[in-house]
Amino acid sequence: MSQFIISIGREFGSAGRAIAEELAKRFNIPIYDRHLITEIAEKTGLTPEEVEKYNEAPKLKILSRRVNGYSNSIEDNIAEMQFEFLDEKAKSGESFVVVGRCAETKLRKYPALISLFILGDMEEKIKRVMKIYELSEEDAKSFIAKKDKKRKRYHNYHCSGHWGDSRLYDLSINSSRLGIDKTIDILEQYINSRINK
Amino acid sequence: MTAAQIFAVIIFVAMFIMIVLDKIERHYVTLGSGILTLTVVFGICLRDGKAIWDTLAIKGFATKDFWYQVTESESKGINWATILFIAGMMVMVEGMAKAGFFRWLCMKIAYLVKCKTIPIFITFMIMSAVLSMFIDSITVIMFLAAVTIELAQLLKFNPVPMILAEIFCANLGGSATMCGDPPNIIVGTSLGFSFFDFLTNTGLVAGISLVVSVIFFYFVFRKEIASEHGSNIDMSKFPNPSEAITNKKDFAISSVIFGMAVILLITHATTHLTVATIGLFIAVITLLTSGKHAIELLKKVDYKTLVFFIGLFIVVGGLEETGILELIADFIEKISGGNTMLMIAIILWVSAIASAFVDNIPFAATMVPVIQSLAATSGVNLNTLAWALSIGTDIGGSATPIGASANVVGTSVAAKNGHPIGWGKYCRKLAPATIIVLAISNVYIIVRYL
Repeated sequence: MSQFIISIGREFGSAGRAIAEELAKRFNIPIYDRHLITEIAEKTGLTPEEVEKYNEAPKLKILSRRVNGYSNSIEDNIAEMQFEFLDEKAKSGESFVVVGRCAETKLRKYPALISLFILGDMEEKIKRVMKIYELSEEDAKSFIAKKDKKRKRYHNYHCSGHWGDSRLYDLSINSSRLGIDKTIDILEQYINSRINK
Repeated sequence: MTAAQIFAVIIFVAMFIMIVLDKIERHYVTLGSGILTLTVVFGICLRDGKAIWDTLAIKGFATKDFWYQVTESESKGINWATILFIAGMMVMVEGMAKAGFFRWLCMKIAYLVKCKTIPIFITFMIMSAVLSMFIDSITVIMFLAAVTIELAQLLKFNPVPMILAEIFCANLGGSATMCGDPPNIIVGTSLGFSFFDFLTNTGLVAGISLVVSVIFFYFVFRKEIASEHGSNIDMSKFPNPSEAITNKKDFAISSVIFGMAVILLITHATTHLTVATIGLFIAVITLLTSGKHAIELLKKVDYKTLVFFIGLFIVVGGLEETGILELIADFIEKISGGNTMLMIAIILWVSAIASAFVDNIPFAATMVPVIQSLAATSGVNLNTLAWALSIGTDIGGSATPIGASANVVGTSVAAKNGHPIGWGKYCRKLAPATIIVLAISNVYIIVRYL
């Protein structure tokens, strides 16, 4: 397989992004995560902070409407621009890693797609979030719940399948079981097997 | 309340909530709700086979009045005339778009005013209103907003104020004629009005409001749309309008068909041809002249919207047959205390406020039987109530980004091209303009009809 696209869905605090970054490094391919925000910011003339506000955010349904595929919601439009960007990249034959953005569904039509979902035990996720964001245990717990709720709503609005449902992904893995480094090793092995198939 | 009334209300409210939640596509929602109305309300609760047939209104096709109407008549149940007309216009518009008509028109006008931003701003507002009198506002805004963005990039001006003004004028232009906005088609075909009835009543106030709106938007936006180039514009850098025409023969044919549609609509009170006949004729002639592309045009017709209408009319038929809409009419009469001026203000402003937040099509379809009942019991002229309803639903939709289809399409085209328009930016300018036009309309109705 000359082209391979690694999509990584993740629970907040499961080290999904760190795993994605390391995989991109090991396979020497670009990663589209924050990069997508800069790209959309350049295209829209918004500041990256403004795009971040609407990024992977579910829209407020009561304030939005859709007509013949058009939507007044900025969240919807930014999401669609990201999906289009990813689709163009996939179509161009480029190999890359993408974090979130419903990529496992939006890029499903490409045989090059290898879709992964990273989850974690709540205690491990809390520990990680407490350390990175310098939060108390209680705050870290509610922060995780808030972020995951947002991701779930975003995903389930744009896709027919449910966020985190193992049937949507090629491989779902709990990063708390083996730790981040060993999880990356296993994933690297799996991806190599897929590439060399 | 009877069981039939309770179920009719539950189905209607659930349908509205589902449309707002946007989880299931709206045509499935109305069609499902329509089937529930037929089976639960008419079949199980009322056990009334005749009500089902009346609501399906299939017999109407076989009547002469459906195609050729000398005397005004009111329709009940599924408004097939509306559906047929909208379908016909959809086919015609697809043909026009394919030939490059809309893009050519926008570019040509920009050229004629020498690509100066303020004249473009004013002419595009007027063009938006005039085109929306005959063509659905979604198509008008789709093309106008795209060309505005293209011109904004070339001339270096901010396209957002222009797109906002175009959206507003598209909704305003739509209120001027019977075929301009779906609520008007519903009101017109349900109550037996002609194109000319609308033009001389809602059209007149729309014309006055357009003049006021152009002045209002000019003063509100003139600084924002000033071009970086000032008056030094190199016309040689702009694309030639004729490049927009994809095929000269198709372009000529589609222009002639559009002209025919306009003439048929303007004269339909004299020719007695109904909008259903006009819609069918226009569709057939477009398909016949498009040769091998006919299938392609048919495929592009927005069937989802047509199904949405069918389901909607059945659900509203359920409310009508069970007497719920009469209860609403009685309620309006009660709170207005029989005061005609207050009754009209309620119809106008409540329609406007509701249309600013919910789809104005189901709202208008629901309100038509309500005003019929209100006119019968209170003695207020039905036509006056109908104009208040039409203006309220058409204009009210301009106030928010979700109030009308044109708003959604315009803001979406802007966002996808790097100019996101949030609720704040939208409402700051268009909500006051909406209130001004509604106030003008309220005064107009009182002065002219009372």
